[in-house]
Amino acid sequence: MSSRPVRSQSTVSANVKSRLPALVVIIGGLALTGALLRLVEAPLWTVLRAEQPALRLDSTGAAAGQGVTLGLLGGFRAIVADFTWLRLHVLWEQRDLPATDTLLRLVTAVDPRPLYFWVNGARIIAFDMTAWRIAAAGGYDSVPEARQERIGAEQARLAIRRLEEAMTFHPANAALWVERANIELNRLHDVAAAAASYRRAWEQPGGPDYAARLHAELLKRLGRKAEALAWLVQLHPQLPTGDEATEIVLGRIRDLEKDLQVPAARSYRPPPGGPPGAKPGGR
Amino acid sequence: MTRVPFSFTRARLIGQNTLLEASRQKLFSFLLLLALSLVAGAQGFRDFNFGAPELKFLADLGYGAMAFFGAALTVAATAQLFFSEIENRTALTLLAKPVWRAEFILGKYLGIAAVAAVFCVLLTGLLAAVLWAREGSLLTEFPEAFPHGRTLHFADLVAAGYVQWLKLAVLAAFTLLVASFSQTQLYTVVTGFFVLVICHLQYLAQDASARGDSVFARAVAGAIGLLFPNFQLFNLAENVGAGVAVPWDRVAHVSVYALGYVVAAGALAVYSFRKREI
Amino acid sequence: MSAGPSGTPAIELRGLVKDFAVGLRGVKLRAVDHLSLRVEPGQVYGLLGPNGSGKSTTIKIILGLLEPTAGECAVFGVPGGRVEARLAVGYLPESPYFYRHLTGRELVQFYARICGLSGARVPARVAEVIGWVGLTEAADRRIGTYSKGMLQRIGLAQALVHDPRLVILDEPTAGVDPVGAAAISALILNLKAQGKTVLITSHLLAQIEDICDRVAILDRGQLILEGAVRELVGVADRQALVVEPLSPVQLGELRVWLAARGRTLEAVETPRARLDRIFLDHVGRTAPAKREGGP
Ligand SMILES: Nc1ncnc2c1ncn2[C@@H]1O[C@H](COP(=O)(O)OP(=O)(O)OP(=O)(O)O)[C@@H](O)[C@H]1O
Ligand SMILES: [Mg+2]
Repeated sequence: MSSRPVRSQSTVSANVKSRLPALVVIIGGLALTGALLRLVEAPLWTVLRAEQPALRLDSTGAAAGQGVTLGLLGGFRAIVADFTWLRLHVLWEQRDLPATDTLLRLVTAVDPRPLYFWVNGARIIAFDMTAWRIAAAGGYDSVPEARQERIGAEQARLAIRRLEEAMTFHPANAALWVERANIELNRLHDVAAAAASYRRAWEQPGGPDYAARLHAELLKRLGRKAEALAWLVQLHPQLPTGDEATEIVLGRIRDLEKDLQVPAARSYRPPPGGPPGAKPGGR
Repeated sequence: MTRVPFSFTRARLIGQNTLLEASRQKLFSFLLLLALSLVAGAQGFRDFNFGAPELKFLADLGYGAMAFFGAALTVAATAQLFFSEIENRTALTLLAKPVWRAEFILGKYLGIAAVAAVFCVLLTGLLAAVLWAREGSLLTEFPEAFPHGRTLHFADLVAAGYVQWLKLAVLAAFTLLVASFSQTQLYTVVTGFFVLVICHLQYLAQDASARGDSVFARAVAGAIGLLFPNFQLFNLAENVGAGVAVPWDRVAHVSVYALGYVVAAGALAVYSFRKREI
Repeated sequence: MSAGPSGTPAIELRGLVKDFAVGLRGVKLRAVDHLSLRVEPGQVYGLLGPNGSGKSTTIKIILGLLEPTAGECAVFGVPGGRVEARLAVGYLPESPYFYRHLTGRELVQFYARICGLSGARVPARVAEVIGWVGLTEAADRRIGTYSKGMLQRIGLAQALVHDPRLVILDEPTAGVDPVGAAAISALILNLKAQGKTVLITSHLLAQIEDICDRVAILDRGQLILEGAVRELVGVADRQALVVEPLSPVQLGELRVWLAARGRTLEAVETPRARLDRIFLDHVGRTAPAKREGGP
């Protein structure tokens, strides 16, 4: 045990110490930590970011502003968006078109990830808002048919623009293409466009079979029967064996062959042992 | 001379006292009740056209409340529990005992981390109960929407709650670091929230430092990217409500990341508190 | 704890200087100015001085709460500022505040455990020291509800709970009623009887005079007077007699009697009872028990 005090006689002015050295140590320490932990961070961050293209987590160009908003909201993004959607629902019930429109934009700006914000938004724009505008103009009875059509087409185009925006966040998403096809078919009565959209829907990973069938159906309606037959013929082997839908497709093929008077020798023959089964993941 | 080694017992005692102090304060009970009632009340938002899984909404709400109120609670609790010692001069009495300054900082940290943990455990538990009940009723109402039975797993909910807590634990360590050299509680709270915001935007700084316009902008962005943790990394459990499983290897990965920052920020807090005049 | 080797002072200060930087420009304020002191083990040592003379600052340096600008400080030979130096020290800060969320008993228990006491001894020891300071009845109330004097008393209890060899009391009687102040005096004398060292600051000079062996007087951080109380206050060549009233005639006779012995009567006064004496006699509440069994 030492009884000699350690602190040596120093000049009095040496104290009243500035906090600068401590600050340097803290900043240096944090920088060192950051550099070391970057090794832990980087691999996980690369994976997480790649999995969330919908987040557009980068700071290039116009996305930078949104990146800041999203980053800021952090974990609260989902909850803020959900509450915005609740508020939107109230305004929707009140048929307040401008406010609903604003909130539709807001909700997807806050959280572009949930598909239902986009899909339901497009439906509201295409269907509900059309009805509201016609009602505001005097109702279905007094507004001329042509005008109703025009309003419907305007809203449908707006809705399709929303869906196109959604596709930048959710590329390769079948549901968005199905929605687009529905609007093109039912609102714009643009069968060719709808047929193309259904085909795109089917082409996305996990695209539903009925989209492929509807594509053929619409081709038929357009009078492009040969095209429809060719489509179904290449489709059938990709469908699961024994499925009801697969049988329906085969039935359609036979109908079209009859319509087009395809000779029996050249008629479609399902692959022996049945089709290979479930369609492959991506085409 | 009798040596007094660093003692985890003393740190634990200080931590326990800190937790007790928090639990006997109205502000914290208030925040906790607010968050709990929000989650419990989420049951009430049923009558609207969601068009998508309601469970996802409930989970978002629960974890959103955990993130939001948790961050507020953590920053406020850290500043309050630290400065109450300084301002009420209880630190004077405590540090006049054979107590290392490092034990004091560690004890305070343990107490605050425990406050955050209690908060996350209570909220996760309540959320799990709410989700389980709602899933059960949806299951009978719309069996076709659940072809494989229940989609939510308790383990995933717990993992998501744990990741939320990890983020709060890092936030607490940084706020404590600020408190260790700051002179006022208000400064600490404001800076704590500032740190929270920067940590959420850290990834933008990383990007900007890689391809910024000017050398200066790159340097600033690079420094921010280096000095602060990336809180976006803690968003790996965002889709539990949609029945998406939480990958355990990633949870482990982000735990290492959080632990690294807690140790570093804690050590620096000890360093800066070491010579502080009480 | 082993006692330091004989000759090791309980506290030793050598050339202690403390400067505070005040204001934004960091103007220096010298709170302690080249102070050198020795407090021997077993002494009750009084540190006196006007407000702002550096008493509390000196104490905080001894406890390692402040770092001296220059000079040396040692407690039982261990350099101040080391954790080991605080091992055998009990400290009551001036105008203390304690964790308001705890009860008095919880508080003393907390500090007992912090100081390394553990197990079943703790509750008994805690109850004992709370008894010494006369807080047994209020022990289970929240400290937030304590009066100023009660805070001082609970502060005293936490300072004594780990049976320290050196007790440092910064104005222990501030805000305490005369009964309590007298009890604290008795407690300090009791500590002395057990061989403890006590360093005390106070503005109650009468009390200091009664209990201290030595005092140091500081002014603006400088030591201006130091010595044993007996030497400093004793007026060795005078005596006072207190008798029943004498008539002028009798006084004259006394003068003659004194003159015959070569003495003169210098003053005749009517002594007045000290107010604290009257207070103590009338508020004869039992002063907090502290003696038997002692600290
Ligand atoms: N933290 C500080 N920062 C700046 N100045 C300080 C600080 N602490 C004390 N001082 C100054 O140091 C001087 C000595 O203060 P100290 O508290 O030691 O006096 P004291 O003798 O205990 O007075 P009192 O009898 O009023 O308790 C005072 O002028 C005070 O203003
Ligand atoms: Mg003082």
